Amino acid sequence: MESTTRSRTILVVGGGISGITTAVEAAEAGHDVVLVEKSPTLGGRVAQLNRYFPKLCHPTCGLEINFQRIKKSRRIKVFTMATVAAVKGGAGGYTVTVKTSPRHVKPNCTACGDCGRAATSEIANPFNYNMDKVKAAYLPHTMAFPMRYVIDGSVAGTPEGEAIKAACKIGAVDLDEKEETFDVEVGAVVWATGWRPYPAEKLTAYRYDLPNVITNVEMERLASPDGPTKGKILRPSDGQAPKKIALIQCAGSRDLNHLAYCSRICCLASMKHAAYVREQLADAVVDVYYIDLRAHDKLESFLLRVKDDPQVRFVKSKPARIDPGAGDNPILCGENTLTREVYAEPYDLVVLATGMQPSTAEGDMPAFDGDLDDYGFIFPEGETISAGVAAGPLDVSMSVQSATAAALKAIRATMA
Amino acid sequence: MSQAASPTPKQKYDLNFARWVYENVDGGDRMALCMQCGTCSGSCPIGTQMDYGPRKLFMMIRAGLKEKVLTSNTLWNCVSCYNCVVRCPRKVPVTYILHDLATLAVREGYAEATHSDNALFAKAFWWSATKYGRTDERLVTAKYYFAFGMSEGYKRGMANMKIALGMVRTKRMHIGMPHKVKETSELHKILAKAAEIEARNNNK
Repeated sequence: MESTTRSRTILVVGGGISGITTAVEAAEAGHDVVLVEKSPTLGGRVAQLNRYFPKLCHPTCGLEINFQRIKKSRRIKVFTMATVAAVKGGAGGYTVTVKTSPRHVKPNCTACGDCGRAATSEIANPFNYNMDKVKAAYLPHTMAFPMRYVIDGSVAGTPEGEAIKAACKIGAVDLDEKEETFDVEVGAVVWATGWRPYPAEKLTAYRYDLPNVITNVEMERLASPDGPTKGKILRPSDGQAPKKIALIQCAGSRDLNHLAYCSRICCLASMKHAAYVREQLADAVVDVYYIDLRAHDKLESFLLRVKDDPQVRFVKSKPARIDPGAGDNPILCGENTLTREVYAEPYDLVVLATGMQPSTAEGDMPAFDGDLDDYGFIFPEGETISAGVAAGPLDVSMSVQSATAAALKAIRATMA
Repeated sequence: MSQAASPTPKQKYDLNFARWVYENVDGGDRMALCMQCGTCSGSCPIGTQMDYGPRKLFMMIRAGLKEKVLTSNTLWNCVSCYNCVVRCPRKVPVTYILHDLATLAVREGYAEATHSDNALFAKAFWWSATKYGRTDERLVTAKYYFAFGMSEGYKRGMANMKIALGMVRTKRMHIGMPHKVKETSELHKILAKAAEIEARNNNK
């Protein structure tokens, strides 16, 4: 046995809820963990949610607890704005090359906001799915971890960049920072690379190009207090509160032309969206267009609760298409399969419940060379360990279970 | 499609007819995957003019309502725009299935099918196509109109006289011998061979 040469360190790729969970579970069991996250903060898609189903509590609460666990642990090393460039070796002894992109802000940043006030140019805000803009020196969001500003590379070498640098009282701005690569030796690798929303522009019949056709993840941001509308659900075209809203289920999911599988969370996410609307807008009606409603196991009670509201109506139909209508009102066209009626119904706002596409889709992870299933999810087989949505479509609580299981697998892999 | 007659279910939800359709109708195997979402009927440009629409028709096949299915106008009102085929989340070739069911309805002698406008037109079209290798507008139209009887054919022809003369004047329709392919005898040999192959396959 060459057990002395084996590394007990675990690399976790992806700092969403699954990656965070695997990292803290493994660290609290006594293993060193390197957590690599592509974006400037941890939290991933969960940080972008307004509330969780079914209890409608805020994800910030759970994230804060996890961030505390990371802070308290001496075993977890977090790299943000970092990706895995290469993985060499095998179980028990991997050499992983990590590449970091420049943040242009040093770790001593106190998040005072002086750089943001000095910045004049604006960039699209990925945290709000590009629905609004942020200054070129910005805090990714109010719950950012690490709580550090990011300065967009576009201001480097400009007078604006100099002004931003001068504004920082503690000299934390480094506009000359370059991309870096370094190697880490680890005993196991956990892929917690998560998902992205299926691109709605591919659903050509659903006219995502129309201003009042949005996606479910955008609805989440619209309803969030730190979103582009400060939590008010408003139509993008005119900023008015919608009175009649359609939620289209399976927009691209369970569709052999798009995502062949059921993403499992969209039905319940839409129930949550119906609840957001009804909480804010007393006269609004919500029509849910569905093929069949899939509220798995105990979550059915949440569906039944929403169904009790007479202003949330259910139409058994997959709409065939959306037409542009007068007053920027999208018109839903299709067949009600219970009545055989062919409808053309105008709405103030249409929300497409798009599904989850694995991050591995479209060849985005060159460093991963294990097996993917037919849909691009990482098949946990042999040495490959995957957690959360990287392994298959899951909701948050199931992702946490999957990530805890992955931590155990990774620990065993380092000991094998 | 098999030449053998399709089974007639004796009760509702007898799957014999559905199974026969899955196995014998072009695209029927994919029809088995239909999840009744309604995209096809909602996408149909003349969906409101169909008695059932494809989605309901497929469910009726599963329910064993063979006679209702084969006398439905849904089979004949399809205009082959393929909107439903493009959008179907299960890649069911709806158009092929409807056309094959229409053929089945004619073959099994349902009056609604054999006497439907579209069946009569298809017959006239096929007659010209097989005889000349070309469709001659005048002959197809005449054959179609007179399929409704002598006086009805004359009435329909006269009603369209103005359009016909206009087409002749603007050289959109010619006068004289019908258009035809160079070697109609070769075409007839090809068609005879195709019929022979079809018969051979059906006897397997």
